[in-house]
Amino acid sequence: MENRPDPLHPTPVKLLTVHIDPLILNDLPPSSIKEDSFKLTAANEAQFTLLKKGSRLWVQFPDGEFCDYPYYLKNVTCVLEGFKAYSKPRPDLIDTFSSFIKSTESIEKKMFSNVSMSPGENVKDLWDEIIKKVNSISAESHSLKGLVEKILDVPFLQSFQTSLVILHLKGQTKAELLGTMWRSEKVHGLIEVKDFNNSFNSIRKSKIKSFSTDAFTKINLPFNGSFLAKEVISKKYSLIAIVSRHDFLNYSHEEIELFETCIDLLQPHFERLIDQEFSDQKISELRICLKHFPLPLRIRDGHSGSSFMNDLYNNELQDQDIFFNKKVKGPFSLDLYDSDELRHYAFDLFHFQRISLLGELLNTLRHELSNPLFGLKLSSQIFTTLEVTPDDKELMEEIEKNVNRCQSIIENFSNLYQINHETKPVALKKMIEESMTLAKSEIREVTRKVEYGPDSEDIILNVPLIFVVQILFNLIVNAAQAMRNQPHRAELTIEVTKVGEQVQIDVSDNGAGIPEDKLINLFKPFFTTKNQGTGLGLVLSRNLTVKMGGNLEFIKNLKEKGASFRLTLPLS
Amino acid sequence: MKHILIIEDEILIQQSLKKLFERRGLRVDVSASGKTAIDMILSTDYDRIICDLMLQDISGFDVIEESKKRFSAQEIGQKFVIMTAYNSPQVLSRANSYQCKLLNKPFDNLEEALRLMTE
Repeated sequence: MENRPDPLHPTPVKLLTVHIDPLILNDLPPSSIKEDSFKLTAANEAQFTLLKKGSRLWVQFPDGEFCDYPYYLKNVTCVLEGFKAYSKPRPDLIDTFSSFIKSTESIEKKMFSNVSMSPGENVKDLWDEIIKKVNSISAESHSLKGLVEKILDVPFLQSFQTSLVILHLKGQTKAELLGTMWRSEKVHGLIEVKDFNNSFNSIRKSKIKSFSTDAFTKINLPFNGSFLAKEVISKKYSLIAIVSRHDFLNYSHEEIELFETCIDLLQPHFERLIDQEFSDQKISELRICLKHFPLPLRIRDGHSGSSFMNDLYNNELQDQDIFFNKKVKGPFSLDLYDSDELRHYAFDLFHFQRISLLGELLNTLRHELSNPLFGLKLSSQIFTTLEVTPDDKELMEEIEKNVNRCQSIIENFSNLYQINHETKPVALKKMIEESMTLAKSEIREVTRKVEYGPDSEDIILNVPLIFVVQILFNLIVNAAQAMRNQPHRAELTIEVTKVGEQVQIDVSDNGAGIPEDKLINLFKPFFTTKNQGTGLGLVLSRNLTVKMGGNLEFIKNLKEKGASFRLTLPLS
Repeated sequence: MKHILIIEDEILIQQSLKKLFERRGLRVDVSASGKTAIDMILSTDYDRIICDLMLQDISGFDVIEESKKRFSAQEIGQKFVIMTAYNSPQVLSRANSYQCKLLNKPFDNLEEALRLMTE
């Protein structure tokens, strides 16, 4: 046993190859050997050889050593199960299997050394029970913490009070202490990686694996007394497993061996659970990352069809993370949703920035232009009072008028971006005229008709003037742009009709109209058919309308030509 | 009310106000710079100081602070008229703390503004 090479570092092997004695194959039920679980080869090519010698099972290891098992059929099944579980073309699993089979042997030997030459039923039972328990607690556990707590259920550890694990994931600055004390109290703590490494090394160097908290001061363990400790190392983590009875007695040789074997048997399960927790954590970090990713994106899972959309992708701002909630297990593919749609949205982000910049610019413009305009106004006023010819006087008055117009245009535009809107009674007629003035450059060469129905010419609305002006301005500009470059005369019609307690303002053009397939997106943010459009005009307009208790909708033109929008506002 | 100082860096406004006041028979000095204005305030007896807030070199509030060397808080409240195009709440509350008159640019009513500045 002592002459064997370290089972954790055997010669690297690629595939588990086994030779099974034909005598054994005859004894086994056919179902216990699956062809795909390991590779059966000739005796001289195999890494492991199973032989039947009398009523015993002999296992030959890759390094040439033999070990024998007394309970032939039981053990051959057990070893074959081990092959099935571990034989995959992965070298680390073969290592694990190698250590598993050797531990099995060491337990067997231990049993026999203790129970002298005549093995009784109780030894066999204990061995069976330990294996059975290790398998069952591993299967029951869904977290490392859970498994650590259940270690105390393993038969020979039943007099123990404490089971702890100190886990250090490679790359982390702290190691995590977790487990249970007094079989009930949960323990959790963090340990500096420097202290962890010191302890880990002294445990690794120790041959007896038995320590006392008095002598073991590098880590402040939450109990006093002697304890057993074993180190486990893997590519991704290092781990110290600790058990204690909370007394100061020394542990027997047998207990130390059983504990070591037990941890060896559990190692693949530690690995699995840590991997799983690792990936859970990774998924949750990934989810946060994707959710806040600065571009709209969607992920689709090819198998279940579930998908994830981040905040920017989803206009309604719903958290649609079916993909993550489902916790798709097994193979799945992540596809960044790349299509014209994505590019469209990415383009809109740029628009969004442009719009907020526009707001800032307007504000600056307003302040920067106000002062010189005021200067112009004051000075032109002075000139109008001077002794000048009527022609000059008229010219000065014209300057003042234009200055006033500039001032009001700037104010109106910057008001569109203000949040503070006071509600006061305003004449609808005035608001329509003001909207027309604002849109003057857009509706040049457009025939304008404003038609008032009965009792609707003098309507006074108690609304924020700016809201209505902004909505009408939007509708007028949209209409004008829809009629640009058309062969026939562009015609804009605004019809005001009083209907019960409401007023309807229909803004219609005689342009090409809106294609059926575009109607569904009409009020969606960032939807635009214009090259330079923001896709915000109608959205903002509808929002403002709703704030005033009204409605904004698209209605079909009676002439089946051009578009018509209806703004409905309450009269009271 | 005889002698007025106008501190305003927008020359059209400055000169127009100067003319308007002169027509009313007042003596008017002007400055486009806040620093120059401080020297003038400390060396000349003005009955009224009309001060824009956003100057090129320093702010109108700095001019008022410097004037404390010569005037009491009460005198400042009486002598200064603040003109501003930026009537943010911060500006308003600071202007109020000096207890002086405040005029928003552009003036809604020129005659009324002139009256307020000279009374």
